[in-house]
Amino acid sequence: MKNFILLVLLCSLSGAFAQPNCEAYKYFGDTLKYEACKKLEETKGHYQFSKEYQTIVDESLSIDPSFDYAYWAKSIAYLKSGDFVTWKKLIDKAVELDPKSHLGYRGWCRYQFFRDYKGAIQDIEELDSLVDHDIGHSQNGTYHLNIAKGLCYKAIGEKDKAIKIIENQIKLNEEENFIGAYDYLHLGVLYLETGKYEKALEVFKKQSEVNELAENQYYSALAYEALKNHTEYKICLEIAKEHYIRQSKMFDPYTNPMDKIYIENIEAELKTVNN
Amino acid sequence: MKKTFTILFSLIFVFSSCQTKEKIEDKEDYLRWIGDIEQNNEMDDTEFKACMGDENILQYFHLQEGPMYYGEKPGIQNTFNTKYKPVTGNNQNGYIRIRFVVNCEGKAGRFRILQSDYDYNEIQFDESIVDQLLEITKGMENWEILYGNEKIPIDYYLYLIFKINDGQITEILP
Repeated sequence: MKNFILLVLLCSLSGAFAQPNCEAYKYFGDTLKYEACKKLEETKGHYQFSKEYQTIVDESLSIDPSFDYAYWAKSIAYLKSGDFVTWKKLIDKAVELDPKSHLGYRGWCRYQFFRDYKGAIQDIEELDSLVDHDIGHSQNGTYHLNIAKGLCYKAIGEKDKAIKIIENQIKLNEEENFIGAYDYLHLGVLYLETGKYEKALEVFKKQSEVNELAENQYYSALAYEALKNHTEYKICLEIAKEHYIRQSKMFDPYTNPMDKIYIENIEAELKTVNN
Repeated sequence: MKKTFTILFSLIFVFSSCQTKEKIEDKEDYLRWIGDIEQNNEMDDTEFKACMGDENILQYFHLQEGPMYYGEKPGIQNTFNTKYKPVTGNNQNGYIRIRFVVNCEGKAGRFRILQSDYDYNEIQFDESIVDQLLEITKGMENWEILYGNEKIPIDYYLYLIFKINDGQITEILP
């Protein structure tokens, strides 16, 4: 059991952000931040949730209470344990001290963990207004932040705006040959929900080429059904079930992604087919 | 002596849980991990035990399988859709989190509540909302049994977050 815990903790540690280069603070004459940064290096090897890790971060912050990275580091365990109150206070400090570095992260987490759609949009758009470079990806690398923003607009009912944002970002992603794992799927679902069934099927086919998923086949089935193609409807549902059983489905270690489906959804549709 | 110590320790824990602001600014005595929940015999089922000991309770995401529920997420949603009676008209909006331990037998215990508005400021929801959510959660008899290495069932922390709009559940997370 102890070995197992050690293993999972090591896996968790590997997901951490790279620590800033402390020497850079020294080079620019910020000795306080340099010392706080060196103290924070002592967290290496400690789990983010542990008292050892948290105590070191506190010590780092007592050296330099304006060390934004330490607030961010401290906030993670609260985020992952669902303590939105403490997390928000900590990440707000990091954002206040260095908005360009932390707004994208806070916006993404507001969406990923708390489905705070309006808050996430606000953060991502504020970041966009502050920088003249690409605003980048979500912390887990699954989405460009503009795709995440599009999903938030969808969730608050602005589907046409969501489609426009996601279409634009997918075009850019295609140019970079850097398509997200679920980009086409989300766009297809939006087309489906707005009655554009042929367009939905076009992008579901693209999704199949980059990353086949049970969800992709399930929503394809719904599009075929809307187009009165009952044969393809049934075939897609059966493929969806196979993929679901084989675990080819949407996944996030912490939350259930938007547009995720479950075996119950597939079974319910199959029941309709067979009746 | 042992009971006195347990109560004292629990009071310290409860007190520290309520003092979020001070938590950030002052040095505090952390438990083993952030979010750990100690048994409090005043409020918790005394029969409930972590099979492998408190020091070995993991988080639900440690197994990299995503949030797992008995009957998957629709099972949870159906339960609350059926049993929860909305309390409307009191402008009750925000988040309610219920965090708890699921043991190796798929039983849950040590339920703790956190509440905030949509700006993440702590608030107190109407008791009739919180009590319903807590009782429904406690009433769910089966939780997913998660297995560690060598197929040994583990104990883990899980939470449910309810997004509440005007006393109605609009989403259940994670």
